[in-house]
Amino acid sequence: MLISTFKQLGLLLCSVLLATNVHAVTVEDSKGSFSLDYAPQRIVVLEFSFADALAAVGVAPVGIADDKDKNRVLPEVRDIIGDWQSVGTRSQPSLEVIASLKPDLIIADISRHEAVYDDLKKIAPTLILPSRRETYSDNLKAAAIIGKIVGKEQAMQERLALHRDKMANMAKQLPSQATVQFGVARADALFLHTADSYAGGVIQALGMQTPQSDRDDSAYRQTSLEQLLAINPNYFIVGHYTQPSIVDKWQSEPLWQVLQAVQNKHIYSVNPNVWSRCRGIMAAEHMAKDLLTIFNKP
Amino acid sequence: MTAQRFFPIAVITLLLLALANLMFGAVSLSVEEVWKGLYASSENHFTIYEYRLPRIFLAILVGAGLALSGALVQGVIRNPLASPDVLGVGHGAGLAAVCYMTFFSEASTRWLPEVALAGGILAALVLWYLCGARSSAIKLAITGVALAALWASCIDFLMLTKPLEINNALLWLTGSLWGRGWAQLQALLPWFVLIPLALGLSKYLNLLDLGDDSAISLGARPQHLRLLALAIAVALTAACVSICGPIGFLGLVAPHLTRKLVGGRHQPLLPATMLTGACLLLAADLAARTLDPPIELPAGILTAIIGAPYFLWLLLRMK
Repeated sequence: MLISTFKQLGLLLCSVLLATNVHAVTVEDSKGSFSLDYAPQRIVVLEFSFADALAAVGVAPVGIADDKDKNRVLPEVRDIIGDWQSVGTRSQPSLEVIASLKPDLIIADISRHEAVYDDLKKIAPTLILPSRRETYSDNLKAAAIIGKIVGKEQAMQERLALHRDKMANMAKQLPSQATVQFGVARADALFLHTADSYAGGVIQALGMQTPQSDRDDSAYRQTSLEQLLAINPNYFIVGHYTQPSIVDKWQSEPLWQVLQAVQNKHIYSVNPNVWSRCRGIMAAEHMAKDLLTIFNKP
Repeated sequence: MTAQRFFPIAVITLLLLALANLMFGAVSLSVEEVWKGLYASSENHFTIYEYRLPRIFLAILVGAGLALSGALVQGVIRNPLASPDVLGVGHGAGLAAVCYMTFFSEASTRWLPEVALAGGILAALVLWYLCGARSSAIKLAITGVALAALWASCIDFLMLTKPLEINNALLWLTGSLWGRGWAQLQALLPWFVLIPLALGLSKYLNLLDLGDDSAISLGARPQHLRLLALAIAVALTAACVSICGPIGFLGLVAPHLTRKLVGGRHQPLLPATMLTGACLLLAADLAARTLDPPIELPAGILTAIIGAPYFLWLLLRMK
């Protein structure tokens, strides 16, 4: 009787040790070393790019800071992860809703959520990574880290390899000399996403060029019509946040007609939400498909 | 309403608002759950103890601090439409914060309150240097407004040239209690030793209302008094703004409203205005958290929504 109890206890201890050994992972996040000794089941993410990374390995978060608008999450991601609870805006997520979801992992953005990092840690272990203002390669690195921490390192590496293949394949069908400029148009301002931005990185990853300019390069830049003419890209891709946007208003201006993209009818509009707010493996593939459609138009 | 009736009503309102702040939010809790939430064993411990409770204390302190400095400035400038904003403290703090976030974008937000505090006090020192100790209240107010406009235009310039780097700054500039907790409360609390000092000035501020000549003949020293009262107002405003960002209109509306209710004598006015300010900010933060959960609006927007029409109504009435 006693021996069998000991045996059971020993077995239990062994399995517990084994389990922790299997899942104990340590990664480097933006605040240093982060370890987790279990596979998280209830994950809350505070940026779309993190939801994208989770969806890439088939993990569904329980909460997303989706600005209370489920349509802002990439459709491909939505198809995989099913439903979730909104935890408010990405800029000021509701900490009480996050706490009420009882997460066992929170993934936060160093750019937006550093100020509440200590509070988040009181709710659950918090992995903090770059998201806003990250580049294309930063994003893939963050995805690899997320894959490792949710115990799907193998699956994530495979997905990343598949992603590189897909992008390389699509790159072959796209013209490598073309310079492509993406920008988002609001009612009163156009913001160009330059070579250093995420969209710029995707365009480069597809083997195309992003225009260089002589001004110091911030990733997102407000641009006037004159400045746009100075850049004069072959292809101009616009995401209209509102309609009519400033780009629509510019169409009646004489300068607009001088743009080579206008003369060659190479102005295209895309979904600004996907191109500007969503970043990630699937978002990049979505953007690449948009570009394929644009370039293979008869 | 007399002061005797104002104080009990205001205190009860404050307590009710505090209770409402504990109970309501993106997740609504019963009184019993709130009580249990104070203990570490409760599942609502984080929501109540780590999140809502410090936020309530902060709202009370910041509301009271901004309102009190508003009342002091109005007393000194002798204009009921004055507010700490005319000293340029809020905008100075804002400019320092925006500069910090723009030029040291890698820097930790941890130091933001200290930088903002320094900016606010520096702005007040610039004003003092330009006006000198012996200047009239009008000169002080006009120079202050001009300086505030200068700081504001510098902020606008930075926002236009570095648009998206400034997103965080924009959030801070609207004034919000989001994400503030015990640590911020601890940083703010020492500044409130100034409150007894301010209340001690009540009698002399009454004399100042009679005009400098009368005040001197009654034994007050207007220059010293003005300097001391303004220094307290600047320190309180800068401390509050450094934690929560500039919460608009509170320093204008709260003292003004209170003056209508309890009259212009500073002995009841100063403590009463602190209560009004605390109630207003508690109400604004409650609304900010419950209007459209889980979205949290910045409390500064709410106070501006209440404050701006009130201000307009005042202007129309004064005609």
